[in-house]
Amino acid sequence: MTQVKAWAGYLLPKLGQFLFVVVATYTLVFVLVHFLPGDPLIAALAAKGGASTVIDPAELDALRVQYGLDGTLWQQYFGHLIAAAQGDLGISIATGVPVTEMIGRAFPFSVQIASLALLFGVTSAVLITFLAYAAPWPWLRQLLLQIPPFGIAVPAFLSGLLLISVFAFTLGWLPSAGARSFDAAILPAITLALPVGALFFQVFSSAVLEAQNSPYVFTAVAKGVPPRRIFTKHLLRNALLPSITILGLLIGYLAGGTAVVETVFSRDGIGRMTVNAVLARDINVIQGVVLVVGAIYALVNLLVDVAYGFIDPRTRIGGGVPSRARLGAKK
Amino acid sequence: MTNLRKPGFVLGLIIIAVAIVASLAPQLLATHDPFESVATDRLLPPSAQYLFGTDNLGRDLYSRVIYGAALSLLSASLAVVVGVVVGAVVGLISGFVGGRTDFIIMRFVDVLIAVPGVLLALIVVASLGFGPLSLALGVGLGAAGSFARVMRSQVIRIRSEEYVEAARTLGVRAPAILVQHVLPNAARPVIAMAALELGTAILSVSALTFLGFGAPPPAPEWGALVSAGRDYVATNPGLSIIPGAVILVVVLAVNRVARAIGGDE
Repeated sequence: MTQVKAWAGYLLPKLGQFLFVVVATYTLVFVLVHFLPGDPLIAALAAKGGASTVIDPAELDALRVQYGLDGTLWQQYFGHLIAAAQGDLGISIATGVPVTEMIGRAFPFSVQIASLALLFGVTSAVLITFLAYAAPWPWLRQLLLQIPPFGIAVPAFLSGLLLISVFAFTLGWLPSAGARSFDAAILPAITLALPVGALFFQVFSSAVLEAQNSPYVFTAVAKGVPPRRIFTKHLLRNALLPSITILGLLIGYLAGGTAVVETVFSRDGIGRMTVNAVLARDINVIQGVVLVVGAIYALVNLLVDVAYGFIDPRTRIGGGVPSRARLGAKK
Repeated sequence: MTNLRKPGFVLGLIIIAVAIVASLAPQLLATHDPFESVATDRLLPPSAQYLFGTDNLGRDLYSRVIYGAALSLLSASLAVVVGVVVGAVVGLISGFVGGRTDFIIMRFVDVLIAVPGVLLALIVVASLGFGPLSLALGVGLGAAGSFARVMRSQVIRIRSEEYVEAARTLGVRAPAILVQHVLPNAARPVIAMAALELGTAILSVSALTFLGFGAPPPAPEWGALVSAGRDYVATNPGLSIIPGAVILVVVLAVNRVARAIGGDE
């Protein structure tokens, strides 16, 4: 019974936090769209039909009703919120297709490269950390540690175009564009993995550094355990756990990164759909995408919290773990 | 001053100085008119006459990159200013007022940080229209959340310092305390962060101009140059890779100098 109570006391606030982040994301987007100058519907129609488009007022009112842009701000705010909770994100102004359907169609393509990028990024971050840890010479260690800051500074369009130019056009190993085959996902995933891996590296390597100074590593070294074994048995385990808390942040990076990467590689997906929506000034689609990304971010954080509760019982029984490298809602 | 002996730092400063000259007085560095097309000199490789080669309209790529610096770097700097000002004001109020107001403001700041910066910028650009100004506003707003958080933590730290207590006891009003005591003492970490943010802002702005949300075509914005060269990546990869590399070099230089400013060595 106390077990259930402890879990409830741990999970309910997390669940509340999840709902808050989703609603607040929606509110933030709503405020930005409606309080920045300009009429979104007129801008979208002008983008569709050219700058000189003339629409008569009656028709404009009918279009407002169709795209859910009529009524007072409060009516719109709550109306769209309730609709969104039921899975209805409105209709695209540019294409007339329901936004939920558009996102559903583009989603799998983005998930494919994003999950591959996460895999590449995390694996190489762990590998670089291990090599730097085991490097026999200080200069090699320094060199390895310089790679991740470099990864953050490279613009995604540059790394993408370089990869295309080398692996698609010069060597001809992989396709330069498209989303039909698995091969086509490799280059975009590497491009996307660069900043994500670098970000993960920052958190992971500092966690390794922290674990390196702990008594159990000292003991292991004193016992004569070889470095590779210390890394896999002691450091990797203890450093990987706090690092998973930035998973939500990485998902956010991935979502933002797909806009450039999918454009460079001419791939279908959420990012390219968003770019096209911005070009068409299609505010309904952009709102929908941001809300879905915000919800995924909040969901991943919720899952990480729950997983943490299982893995590390100290988090559940009050107090919590002090050093959490997470950027989520925290007082 | 130990910084001056480090080659990376000095190189970074030189690159930044060149970039600033290019933004303010491009005619000093450019070798050609960035808008003039020479029909017979299309898609030439780099040479002594055309340092970075020429584009599909026969324009000198080097001069276009030089003239592009102003638009690209000024948008990015403006974005940082927007981020710092908005973030500092929010963080200052939140930290100084405290209590429930602080709690509510910070929850919204959490969300501002949670939404990916690119998406936030896209919302602003879609609402305001394309161009360097709305890019700067969008990118700046995306960065404001982190500035608010840093500013708030500084304010909370300083609020309980003895000199603030003393000023309060002497009857100095809250706005005066904020301006005279809190702001100058909170500035250093915020400035260090702003310097680091500049590199990120250059990347974000160039990504958004690459996507086509910057100034309209003949303008030689860096991201737009990369995008224009994309069609020739199979035959003339330098056309998009050289401007891309320029962005990378400038970002690395800015980050290197920013780390030195932050004392993070």
